[in-house]
Amino acid sequence: MTNRIAELRKGRRISQAELADAVDVTRQTIISLESGRYNASLLLAHRIARYFGLTIEEVFLFEEDTP
Amino acid sequence: MKGTRIGNTYLPAFGLVAAVGLGVAAMILGDQLASSISGLCFGLAGAVGGLSGSRLAMAHFDRTWTEEQRKELERAERDERNIAIREKAAYSSWYWTLYLLWGVFFLTLILGSGFPTALVSVVIVLHCVFYMVNMNRWTKRL
Repeated sequence: MTNRIAELRKGRRISQAELADAVDVTRQTIISLESGRYNASLLLAHRIARYFGLTIEEVFLFEEDTP
Repeated sequence: MKGTRIGNTYLPAFGLVAAVGLGVAAMILGDQLASSISGLCFGLAGAVGGLSGSRLAMAHFDRTWTEEQRKELERAERDERNIAIREKAAYSSWYWTLYLLWGVFFLTLILGSGFPTALVSVVIVLHCVFYMVNMNRWTKRL
């Protein structure tokens, strides 16, 4: 599973620490999510997607769905 | 607040003093004590000293933390990645402890010692039983 967290975050000029604060995780978790080392739980995925005002599918991309 | 101070400062300080006293007493008495009693005293002194010392150190750090640092620490505690790390570490630790116990078990078999072999067997069984009990507990919960 890949995600667009880094792209969306940079697009909105938000720091990793700010995003981490907003979704109540550590900055290290955001770093791991962005690098693809860690996959978010459904709850965290929902919080991140809601933070960006998008759906989970728009932020998190399953390998089989990516072109 | 008063109760917190007793639990975080006075009780651990008393525990640390008692542990040091017990260790020193066991050292001074030396040969006058049976080896099992001496071992028990040193073991108890180490355990109580370690627990009390770490409690005192935690209380000290807790006092020096700012509100921001405390929030960050609480967040790190409930962070889902950190929880996943702890679970994975505990899971692999369980296997490593089991391998270690089997190693000690075979060592006692080779050395031909009866009681330690039985003791290690019991610990291996308990180690697996606790695992199965917890598996059952979590199967019901999740």
